[in-house]
Amino acid sequence: MTRNRIILLAAIFTFTFSFSFSFSLPTCAQAPAEDPVSEAMKQSLVFLEIAAYPYDHYRPWKRMDVIQRTACGNAVGPYEVITTASRVTDAAFIRARRFGQNEYINAQIQVVDYDSNLCLLQLDRNSMTKPLQPLEFSETYQKGAQVDYYWLSSIGRMQSGRGYIEDHKVLKSTLSHAHFLNYLIGNISQSASSAQVFFMEGKPIGIAASSSKTNKTARVIPAERIRHFLEDVAEGDYQGFPAFGFDTNELLDPTLRKYLNMPPEMQQGAYVREVHTLGTGSEELKSGDVILAIEGAQLDAHGRYIDPKFGQIGFPHLISRRKIGESLQFEIWRDGKKETLAVKTQNFAAHEMLIPYYEFDRQPKYLVTAGFVLQRLTRPYLMKWGSDWQGKVDPHIYHYLQQMSYKPSEQRKEIVILSHVNPADINLGYHSMRQEIVKTVNGKTIASIQDIADALKLNPDSRYDVIEFEHSNPTVVIDRSQLAQADALISQRYGIEKLVNIQ
Amino acid sequence: MFQRHTRFQFRIFRLLLIGGIGLVFSSDLAGQEPSYDNSVVMIRGVSQGYDYSTPWKKRSPSRGSGTGFIIAGDRILTNAHNVSNNQYVEVRKQNSAQRYPAEIAYVGHDCDLAILTVPNSDFFADMTPLELGGIPEVNTTVYTYGFPVGGQLISVTKGVVSRVQMDLYSHTGADGHLVVQTDAAINPGNSGGPVIQDGKVVGVAFQGLRAAEGIGYMIPTTVIKHFLKDIEDDTYDQYGSLGFSYYEGLHNTAYKEYLKVPQDQQGVIVLKTLMNSSAEKVLQPGDVVTHFDDYDIDNDGMVRIYGRRLDMSEVIEQKQIGEFLELTFYRDGERHREKLPIALNRPVLDYSLQFDVAPRYIVVAGLTFTPLSRNFLQTWGPSWISSIPHTLRYLFNSSSELNQARERREYVVLSEIMSDQVNAYADDFENLPVETINGVTIYRLEDIPAAWDKVQGGYCVLEFMGSKRPLILDAQLAQDRQQAILNQYQISSDRRLEN
Repeated sequence: MTRNRIILLAAIFTFTFSFSFSFSLPTCAQAPAEDPVSEAMKQSLVFLEIAAYPYDHYRPWKRMDVIQRTACGNAVGPYEVITTASRVTDAAFIRARRFGQNEYINAQIQVVDYDSNLCLLQLDRNSMTKPLQPLEFSETYQKGAQVDYYWLSSIGRMQSGRGYIEDHKVLKSTLSHAHFLNYLIGNISQSASSAQVFFMEGKPIGIAASSSKTNKTARVIPAERIRHFLEDVAEGDYQGFPAFGFDTNELLDPTLRKYLNMPPEMQQGAYVREVHTLGTGSEELKSGDVILAIEGAQLDAHGRYIDPKFGQIGFPHLISRRKIGESLQFEIWRDGKKETLAVKTQNFAAHEMLIPYYEFDRQPKYLVTAGFVLQRLTRPYLMKWGSDWQGKVDPHIYHYLQQMSYKPSEQRKEIVILSHVNPADINLGYHSMRQEIVKTVNGKTIASIQDIADALKLNPDSRYDVIEFEHSNPTVVIDRSQLAQADALISQRYGIEKLVNIQ
Repeated sequence: MFQRHTRFQFRIFRLLLIGGIGLVFSSDLAGQEPSYDNSVVMIRGVSQGYDYSTPWKKRSPSRGSGTGFIIAGDRILTNAHNVSNNQYVEVRKQNSAQRYPAEIAYVGHDCDLAILTVPNSDFFADMTPLELGGIPEVNTTVYTYGFPVGGQLISVTKGVVSRVQMDLYSHTGADGHLVVQTDAAINPGNSGGPVIQDGKVVGVAFQGLRAAEGIGYMIPTTVIKHFLKDIEDDTYDQYGSLGFSYYEGLHNTAYKEYLKVPQDQQGVIVLKTLMNSSAEKVLQPGDVVTHFDDYDIDNDGMVRIYGRRLDMSEVIEQKQIGEFLELTFYRDGERHREKLPIALNRPVLDYSLQFDVAPRYIVVAGLTFTPLSRNFLQTWGPSWISSIPHTLRYLFNSSSELNQARERREYVVLSEIMSDQVNAYADDFENLPVETINGVTIYRLEDIPAAWDKVQGGYCVLEFMGSKRPLILDAQLAQDRQQAILNQYQISSDRRLEN
């Protein structure tokens, strides 16, 4: 979609510029003066083409159709460009084109972080005639300021758009569970959702994460986050950004404050509704705590603090701006008195969640036995139900997603479901079973899909494999004497090359 | 058996009668079948149900019309949905201008049947009762009589019986009984009319399939007779069940061996017994039920009955509550036979819609508590099942799995907040089921007053299912504001604890 649009725009406006003299028309021979930034960007921006090849989360032995995406690559080194992680999910091949060069340049992902939505690409220097001119991002910020944004089009033309800084907000990422500070750009002249670089007062201040056509707004990743990312990459062994491991509610209710024995003059603080088993604060906080301040910054009843640069913003920024492994001082109200906690910043990978929020660049974990498709429950799996999937998926499964996603434990590291059954003689009578949560296999309680692989080796003298499910469900009984033959047949008939992927 | 929730694809024909003149088909076909002008009557009524979010209020009334017919004993048989939540019913004859006010004598919502009587005894003087026949054979002709939209006179349509099967009765949205499917046109207003074959009633027209053409359904005489027998003692007790769910899984030979059932034996596998049900003490998951009385149950859960292959529940459908059924089942390779009483055996959160009952409620501190019901959930509109809050959807789907408390009679939901200073911060809790009040678990609406009085240090502490934080109210303020809130919102009584 984006690509077509860019090509279309380029086709309409392309005639005057230097890209292709052979096409220029006599009537347009006089080229207008270039914007100096636009001219400079010719040495700093590349056009990226990404071939993504995601797995089919419903039939995880298979891939979906190849998706072609385009994005803007912004030089941060002579051969390094930065783009958004959302453009490179499940990338199989990435190539770049730079201004004035016909040949494609191969690109490799050096680091991708789906939480901060940033990706560093390494370009093949042997295909480049000269190095890029790295951008120097500026962390200056001015609400209401005009911004211009630039990108290189698919046909090698430097293009630009314009908008103004409407606001800044801590928002949940569109891609992941993570919360970050974003610049919100209003009244944008063209869509900006593929890492276009934004300039304020002649300096780059961030890259586009997403945009809305209807509202003519864009979300921009601020320079501050880009710096944090690049510093972290430079240190080697990329750690990422801290994430918070608890949920809060606003604490406006004076009765609740009184109930918590908070003195009447104490008006600040956010109520900790729930503490997870992952993320910053998960080990130190308790539900029912009130967070009064983090690193000396007082939280108001909505969980916001006054940032010296941005003014009133959400507390997650106090955490995500830090590095992993730092100690943050939390001032809390617990059991009727003030306490100070030293909270260690941490983050977690999506696959550490009980139900991963996303699953990019990896094959979903599954195991097919006797045609029963057992797989790890993930959010992308549930999103296969389409728009309004929350109202369509089985409520028992949705309950786990809603209540337990951030609470894996030793007893429950993953949720494994029977997704569906590939019909065959061996599973006759079970063909209509689907989306049931596996409780035990051969008597062993299942805490992860690895447990299933292990459990299938149990009871060597038994004639059957036995799978039991949560809630009232039939017990699956598999005749082991037929299993090898049936698996071979099912694998061949349904085109399942690999029956097991449990990494 | 209790049914799993399924998608509801039927609609009830109870639209308003359209004014104006339409086509009338009655006279053309009257030659082939006798006229039933003296047996078929038009029923008009005014229906007005309750608002289930603010249960002290009623909703706007609506008028509807349907059909009924005379049966023995000066009674009119019609559909329950023609007279549900009714404030006024009148009956009209084909050949007379007179309106006869009628009374609802019995109503069976689960089988969508009702009996009306007419106090004016002149009414029945020139009327001829119809007799009940049997279940019509497939591919035989039937005639439907009624007052469908488009005219004021009796309309007759002719059709063929296409299927006899167990199906959903859309009136309550959850009950399943035998239905006869026909391609005779059944349109809004036909509801409650007789379907006739060889001069006898073989069914009551009652619903159609929205997505298809030429698929209409009638209630067969087995269901009508069950209803009539049930009310012989002057009360309607409803259909009963045994209270277990099952799976048709014996097609799998490994499963059959695992459950130690003889290979030539057919049956169904028990998945769960309902708490406090007839089956609970007798059956357990993994039992294989092979016979209901002397009927052989096959691997699809079907039996041979009335010369047909029908769902095994038809054996129970023949019985009244309090009667017994002899159950044969296998457990650990051994055959058992037990007598079980037929009882209501409903899950703690009933799937069925309620009618003709005033919903119970309590308003305290401006918080309206009412039992969680299908009626309440349907206030979310046509796509309620996917748009209701997750916690409610989870309970509705899985109450019999989730409820561990034997003493629980219902779930109680905070249905509406009548805004006031005392509850100014309670909005997040609206539409959540209440778990405890002041530490007391709420198993039924009636638990609330006592729990409310157990004030803890000046606070009322409410915990809700699906919420990780409590709602704290100032107990004194709640008491002080109670009457003002009732006055402000014109709530004449703070509670209705009996229907």
